[in-house]
Amino acid sequence: MDTATTVNNAAVQVTTVEVSIKIRTQSLCFYYRRQQVLHDISLQLPANKITAITGPSGSGKSTFLMVLNRLWEEVEGCGISGKVTMELGGHFKNIHDSTFPVRELRREVAMVFQQPNPLPMSIYKNIAFPLRLAHVNDKTRIKENVESALRQVCLWDEVKDRLGDDGRLLSGGQQQRLCLARALVLNPEVLLLDEPTSSLDPEASKAIEELLLTLKSQCTLIMVSHYQDQIQRIADLHIKVLNGRFST
Amino acid sequence: MMGKFFEKSVTALSWIAGILLITSLLLLIAYLVYEGGSSLQLSLIFGDTAPLDALMLKRQVFDGLLSAIVGTLLLIIGSMFIAIPVGVAGGIYMAEYCRGKMKSLLNLAFDILAGVPSIIVGLAGLLLTIFLNRNFQGQISTCLLISCFSLASLVLPYLIRTTQTALETVDPVIRKTALVLGASRLQNITMVLLPNSISAIISGVILATGRCAEDTAVIMLTGAVATAGLPRSVFDQYEALPFYIYYISSQYTGPDELAQGFGAAIILLILCTGLLVSTLWIQRRLSIMLLYR
Repeated sequence: MDTATTVNNAAVQVTTVEVSIKIRTQSLCFYYRRQQVLHDISLQLPANKITAITGPSGSGKSTFLMVLNRLWEEVEGCGISGKVTMELGGHFKNIHDSTFPVRELRREVAMVFQQPNPLPMSIYKNIAFPLRLAHVNDKTRIKENVESALRQVCLWDEVKDRLGDDGRLLSGGQQQRLCLARALVLNPEVLLLDEPTSSLDPEASKAIEELLLTLKSQCTLIMVSHYQDQIQRIADLHIKVLNGRFST
Repeated sequence: MMGKFFEKSVTALSWIAGILLITSLLLLIAYLVYEGGSSLQLSLIFGDTAPLDALMLKRQVFDGLLSAIVGTLLLIIGSMFIAIPVGVAGGIYMAEYCRGKMKSLLNLAFDILAGVPSIIVGLAGLLLTIFLNRNFQGQISTCLLISCFSLASLVLPYLIRTTQTALETVDPVIRKTALVLGASRLQNITMVLLPNSISAIISGVILATGRCAEDTAVIMLTGAVATAGLPRSVFDQYEALPFYIYYISSQYTGPDELAQGFGAAIILLILCTGLLVSTLWIQRRLSIMLLYR
């Protein structure tokens, strides 16, 4: 990389003074099979805000999200350099620290995909699934958490009488809210959203958008989006990506 | 004009191929029933012994097929008991843990293993028997256990391959789902990937079971004999339906015995169909149980 580019991307400051910082990346580079996908990204993301990331497809938006919950480690041929620190439980932690188990990171940094992905099981079991993975065995606690997660995403009234139905039988918008509830059931501090509304109709998208605004008080949201109007409606901060380089 | 004719002839050929297949199956069954139908009586299975006595193991069955049926069933159960855990575990390893050069090497190895003719596997089993016989002062000779091990290694590549392919073709979104929610690799395999691919894995098990039921070359070298009665232990020799059919077809002494051989073929067919149907039932129950429990 030549010097000019380095200077250009040295530090993209995207924070105001009053807001506390949640995520900080320092000279983050990402490689996939010897091809560099992300170039020297240094930025700071504020807590309890919605940060929108936009850019043409293939520019590295989703890759950036995958770095934040270390999902890239499940893909063969990926490599990373640089540092990512996150404020979790009141302390800044290096997320790639070897003493920090990836499972714990992913419980704090939840993710929702573009396509609703309920597992082939009942609505109730879908929401309770992360609790099961975390070895929570207290039945009443599971029940309470499932209900509160479903209430958070305004799905409780629609499904409370059919919690035993297959999650895949819900409508697209309901499925996406189900996936949001599943991501929220462990009370994560950060929520990553990879084009959360692009497979939904305008009505369902609007419901999700309103939902995301209410979630700001309890977690930090990082959202990849294609829609300019959506970003203007709900995002506090807008980052553009082009060929793996970030700018505000 | 030419394209239309081509398209039509492809359709016609497909139809002919389908009809040919079904006709040959029906012809085969009809021929078996025509030749062996007359022998299909209880005495074919139990000989002169009273069926209840034979089933309660009170009396031995001499000229019936009971020992051969029991032998085949034991053979299937024994070899699947060995092959399923090893095969599924191997498939999981190949799909989820094995990477890089090791993976291509093992892929090649399993392809070669899948291509080994069953008579060679039988010979390997026989060599193993001879080796064991020499080293354990003649206490071990060809027996049910060795046949089971040989058959298991014969069907192992199918099981490994079907498990591997089933796991590798799980929808990438489903694959990521549990990981994103904080699942460990093992949790992802046992709670999401395996339940999602269970029906494909069981299809592999069905194929393997059929192979164990019909294979003659392996068992004739490793322990199947014409008359042995019911095996008393896994270290005993045994009778089996495919070997009985092979034996009768080459050495029958009269029309009665030949009809008995055809009867045995019909029974083997029924046995395999029964196994297939019950596995399909298990397949359905199991995938419901694993996903919705």
